[in-house]
Amino acid sequence: MSPGPPPLLHVRGVSKRFGGHHALCRVDLDLFRAEVHALAGENGAGKSTLMAILSGALRPDEGELVWDGRPVSPGSVRAAQALGIGMVHQEPQLVPSLTVEENIALGRLPERLGPLRMVARGRLREEAARALEPLGAPIGPSQRVSELRLADRQLVTIARALSVGRLAPEVNPGARALGADATSWLRPQTPLGARLIILDEPTSSLAAAEVERLFDVLRRLRAQGAALVYISHRLEELRALADRVTVLRDGRVVTTSPMAQVTGDDLVRAMSGRDVAALDAGASAAGEDVLLEARGLTQRGRLHGIDLTVRRGEVVGLAGLMGAGRSRTLRAVFGAAPRDGGDVRVRPAEDAELRPVRSVAEAMAAGVGFVPEDRRQQALVLTASVQENVGLVTPPGSLRRGLLVRRVLRAAAARAVEALRIKTRGLETPVRVLSGGNQQKVVLGRWLGPHVRVLLLDEPTRGVDVGAKAEIHRHLRELAGRGLGLLVASSELPELLALCDRIYVLRQGRVVGELTREQASPVEVLRLATGAADRGAA
Amino acid sequence: MNIASVAVAAPAGAGGRALFWQRVGPLLGLLILCGGLSLASPHFLTVDNLLNVLRQSSINAILALGQLVVIITAGIDLSIGSIVGLTIVLLALMMKAGWPWGLACVAAIAAGATVGLLNGLLLTRLKLPHPFISTLGTMNVARGAALLLAGGVPISGLPLPFRDPVAGEAFGIPAPVLIAAAVYALGHVFLARTVWGRDLYAIGGNREAARLCGIPVDRRLNLAYALSGAAAGLAAVVLAARMNSGFPLAGQGAELDAIAAVIIGGASFFGGVGTVGGTLIGALVIGFLRNGLNLLDVSAYWQMIVIGAVIVAAVTIDVLRQRIAGS
Repeated sequence: MSPGPPPLLHVRGVSKRFGGHHALCRVDLDLFRAEVHALAGENGAGKSTLMAILSGALRPDEGELVWDGRPVSPGSVRAAQALGIGMVHQEPQLVPSLTVEENIALGRLPERLGPLRMVARGRLREEAARALEPLGAPIGPSQRVSELRLADRQLVTIARALSVGRLAPEVNPGARALGADATSWLRPQTPLGARLIILDEPTSSLAAAEVERLFDVLRRLRAQGAALVYISHRLEELRALADRVTVLRDGRVVTTSPMAQVTGDDLVRAMSGRDVAALDAGASAAGEDVLLEARGLTQRGRLHGIDLTVRRGEVVGLAGLMGAGRSRTLRAVFGAAPRDGGDVRVRPAEDAELRPVRSVAEAMAAGVGFVPEDRRQQALVLTASVQENVGLVTPPGSLRRGLLVRRVLRAAAARAVEALRIKTRGLETPVRVLSGGNQQKVVLGRWLGPHVRVLLLDEPTRGVDVGAKAEIHRHLRELAGRGLGLLVASSELPELLALCDRIYVLRQGRVVGELTREQASPVEVLRLATGAADRGAA
Repeated sequence: MNIASVAVAAPAGAGGRALFWQRVGPLLGLLILCGGLSLASPHFLTVDNLLNVLRQSSINAILALGQLVVIITAGIDLSIGSIVGLTIVLLALMMKAGWPWGLACVAAIAAGATVGLLNGLLLTRLKLPHPFISTLGTMNVARGAALLLAGGVPISGLPLPFRDPVAGEAFGIPAPVLIAAAVYALGHVFLARTVWGRDLYAIGGNREAARLCGIPVDRRLNLAYALSGAAAGLAAVVLAARMNSGFPLAGQGAELDAIAAVIIGGASFFGGVGTVGGTLIGALVIGFLRNGLNLLDVSAYWQMIVIGAVIVAAVTIDVLRQRIAGS
């Protein structure tokens, strides 16, 4: 243990299980006052679960939390807030039609006149001013949140997190009953109400200048004695801001050290550390013919001049961290998202020329298919049958004199069930009763026709069990073998490494690297994706 | 409530511009309408006529206030017309049975609140997917109950001590107008200044954020629908006095004018936005529109078309405003 003041929050041996899955395993962590502690790790490493426990949203199965020398177990978010723990979520949870001060005090409005429950405007204004002051931003407490830019809205959520611990128990007797120490707010008045502030990827929607302003704010809070936990994938941010860093992997703490003593490469190695799962790679079927070509793909503020090619028989991957623009790129290629610049050209048949496509209709007519990221919200009609869902993309030959020919639709659905080994009681079964893996197969089953030349897939095996995952991978390789070109965006590195002949790595809306199968490795992809590659070894 | 406070300096930014129009737009529309009507007909701008319009708008104004509370939560109450019918029949029956009229009025309002609470519970306990469905159900049930209780015929001959004050005048101003004004003053304080009111805006503006911040969403929704029902009960009291009758078909179709008033007044159908002042203006727009068209001898059929066009125009403006605020 380091000499000096004791930690504000000491996390000891915390574990959390969800069903059979160990999200956290005996995690130890110390959070000190006047320190920015970075928390790094891949998706699924356990960061969100740990923060949910600290912020009171979840209870740990094992282990204890020691707050200022006393063991505590906040059983709810309100209880954690009463202790002085504020959380800033990635998605700002604000009510746009209410004012800044009302949002800061959402659910904890100061009251007067007893049973009339009138809002105490004076105290509301005071509290908002006090919470906004350390932020130094030109935000008026009486402004409506709908008038604010995204970056300023972010600051309002931080102000809300800051004012935690002051408004809660003072005016809401109910909070006392929640098991929090009701006297925590009686402590000598600090400039802040919150003493520990957790920030989850706060910059994922901010521009560079706004990020700098946010950092100034956070440094100021640190100077005033707050403990801050900063979660981010962006290593350059961690380096700029954090004092110490903890890396989580598979629910365990891999390392905790002062930021100055670790290099970008060290972090990447600590985050990714595992062996590539032994997935059968299979022979590459890639040919020479370019089937799809995107040039200079731009979406204002989000995608900047992306170039991609997909060849016949090739499986091309899109890798990158959350927010890098993988889904957006796929949707822009397909025409489902707006393009402010650049073009996409597709070769609709063997001997045809590359033809520009500008919309979903044109893309589909040229033989491009799309499997979206969220099958439940974006791909399936859950109440409709397997047959109807497969037939959502009208198979060729299914229209006779403008009317649907049921026989053709049934045949197409039956073919899908057989080719993909979909486990369903029948073609009329509503898809909502199928498992995730089988639902995903239904979506894939739409794109089996001979006219499909290029398939764009966004997270093709998300939420799919191991068995179905292997079958889907086998299917994708088969499609490639038949001469289709595939473009696969995925946040699962092992999947991309096993499937792809080439991988484009995206970062902040740009292609920052292109790796062949031989060149690609988890470390290499992460290096490019996090920007550690730019910094070299420092 | 101070309509003058509706005109505020426009804050910077596109969101501010949209906000400005949201606040000033309905008032501007009303002024233009009145200006146009006063030019079109010499009988329009007389004290008698204006008091008449206010008196005739009172009932819709009261219903619209209840509807506003519900619409702010991103909900809707289709049953208020039927609640008027049910409570007016109950009121008449109670007074005919000899109850003191004051008590009968309070009981009628309470009955309205109870049916409203039922609407709320259908939504929050039975978890019906949308208030459209729950209030559609109560709309039919309440109307049927009203007809059953009244035996299908109006109950007339209500006591004079009741009708005189409630449908009469005080200081030269029609009593229904005074009642509506009082209710609007209370409504403004409730929505703008109490915790309950602010919570309703939060629920309509971002239900998930409201829930995560500890606002008791279900309790507040129940309250909103109960208030809407109570407003319908109060409207029934005023209507009974004016018509001297508890007729079971009272209020048929009234929900539409109420919703129209709320929307024309600048509230958003998607919740979180809307003011008492705006709803008042919306009710006045409808009132003046009907009055003006009558003065101009426009047939009732054309009036329906005009009102329909105004509603569509108002919602279109709402959609445009959302788009501007979002860009």
